[in-house]
Amino acid sequence: MLQKNLFSDVKILVCVGSGGVGKTTLAAALGVMAAQQGLKVLVLTIDPSKRLAQTLGIEGTQEITEVPGQKFKGQLWASVINHQKVFDDFVRKAASSANKTGVSVSAERILKNKLYRQLSTSLSGSQEFTALEMLCSCHESGRFDLIILDTPPAKHAMDFLKAPQKLAALFNEGIAQWFRTPQEGAGFFANLLHSGTRQVLKTLENLTGADFVRELADFFLNIEKWQNKLEQRILQVHEMLVHPQTQFCLVTSFDLAKLKEAESFAKEIRKNGYHLTSVLLNRVFPDWILPEAAETSEDPKKIEIYRLAQLLRFYYEHRLELYAQFERKLSGDVLVMKLPDYVEPVSDLDGLMLIGSQLEF
Amino acid sequence: MNQQIVFVTGKGGVGKSTIAAAIAFKKANEGFKTLLVELGDQSFYREFFELPGVNYQARSLRKNLDVVLWSGPECLKEYAMHLLKIESLYRLFFENKVSRTLINVAPGLPELSVLGKITSGPRKHGPTEPYDFIIVDAYATGHFISLLRAPRGMAKAIQYGPMGEQSRSIDQTIVDPNICKFYYVTLPEELPMKETQELHETLKNEFKIEGQWILNRILETNLKAKDLEKSNLGQKTKINFETYLSSVLDRQEKVIQKLKDTSVSWQELPFLVETDPYKLVQTLSERLK
Repeated sequence: MLQKNLFSDVKILVCVGSGGVGKTTLAAALGVMAAQQGLKVLVLTIDPSKRLAQTLGIEGTQEITEVPGQKFKGQLWASVINHQKVFDDFVRKAASSANKTGVSVSAERILKNKLYRQLSTSLSGSQEFTALEMLCSCHESGRFDLIILDTPPAKHAMDFLKAPQKLAALFNEGIAQWFRTPQEGAGFFANLLHSGTRQVLKTLENLTGADFVRELADFFLNIEKWQNKLEQRILQVHEMLVHPQTQFCLVTSFDLAKLKEAESFAKEIRKNGYHLTSVLLNRVFPDWILPEAAETSEDPKKIEIYRLAQLLRFYYEHRLELYAQFERKLSGDVLVMKLPDYVEPVSDLDGLMLIGSQLEF
Repeated sequence: MNQQIVFVTGKGGVGKSTIAAAIAFKKANEGFKTLLVELGDQSFYREFFELPGVNYQARSLRKNLDVVLWSGPECLKEYAMHLLKIESLYRLFFENKVSRTLINVAPGLPELSVLGKITSGPRKHGPTEPYDFIIVDAYATGHFISLLRAPRGMAKAIQYGPMGEQSRSIDQTIVDPNICKFYYVTLPEELPMKETQELHETLKNEFKIEGQWILNRILETNLKAKDLEKSNLGQKTKINFETYLSSVLDRQEKVIQKLKDTSVSWQELPFLVETDPYKLVQTLSERLK
């Protein structure tokens, strides 16, 4: 019954959490669960392991692909997000809608800008933006009942949601304005404003060199043209993310630092109007049976096995305590799910189904 | 002695920050003046070591060891202040909304500022830090590669002027094995091992950097996987402890064998059950080679 709740009335499920908590695998497992329940579901992943990519049929392709070998009531589709491609596509699309004539020139100019070429994939916020951009266009296509998004690894989970705004700042009109030479007869105030910024630019030039400032000017003047388009898109993305049918699943795991992070993230996410409906605690408990006490045994092997079992049990019990504290701090209407620590990494469809069946509510 | 810089990276969740702290403890215990650096705008060590705060000004953590948190904009600010000297000019530049935005978003600038700050000692450029060792708890693998690429990318894009020169000098410094050392923290598990392998190859091919691997959380025992009995393996749930242990040891032994067959330089650190962070880091530092 509870499993059903997870997907009912949901169009988009965003899996968030910091790096190394098993988000990608869990996003795929949730996709399998949804497909088993009869939904046509798309899983957008960021960086799947080779074997998981093979399982999903998306190794070496950037297309949206139907997962091979499935016998579900619904359908499972998957795709890997290629940041460079999505970003370049967006640049081209934005440029073409910004200006009907001479458009391709401006798109090509920005794609040729040296700074863009060297650094576009490391622009702050660009990976997050491309993930959301792809989510948005898949959502608009209306092809799927449910889309599950795996988010890029970030030091802090909140970075993901703040990123588009950060990127928007790049396209801020003010910056481009700054690099523009004032036109003649621009008026006293415009010139006054410009003399101030000129001094600032001069300072920047002293610090970095004329070459850098020139490239920077070229970069900002070119991207300014799609400022509107980008702002529109960011607004659409925001509306999509705060929509009640978009829900967030926070994935977290073991150590104290990760739990503290998850706790503050849960708070932030709600404060900003997003719908956090589930929390998935990964690798919570070992699914093994403890050996019988070895006090009476004289077999050194048995004694050693018992020692290791005690050591690991102590470790997991300490963690369970942390989890219990964490759960108490999360208030009522969030579904908390727990997963055991698997012996072998899960990467095939059977394994993904097993995860679904083992989710403890 | 000349200042040495140590970068510690690894996949999220492998214990990178704990190991960086352990390396810093080790150097401090050996009597070197050591600075432990966190990157970004939120501190892990504040919570971890229960400190009242970790920020841009160094704070003492213990004897010979200070801890600090460096972000791109703050590094750039300090650097600009150092070069501009004149307070009013500095104010004009920084206390300006557009310029603040620019500093945050200009491609490559935050990365370059951070790396510029880290390498300012050996390069004798900009404000330097009076330490023998700078241990950097760097970004996780993907971001770390972007960070290292920034100076080279910038140097390619910008041929002339101070920006080009500084970018080249930073790039030369990070690839100098006499100045910078790299540690890749990993676990005896599939995904972290794969990511570390990719990181290793990327940094070797692009920068000729040969990092040392730290295989963390090794379960230490004289038992071997083959000595243990495996039962009910067909079933993936509810297995007995001996079967579980056998799988863990098997994976561990395979990873170690694989590393022995390569030319990679590596060391093991044990899985420890210790709830006191200072004791944990101290114990790990004693085990580091």
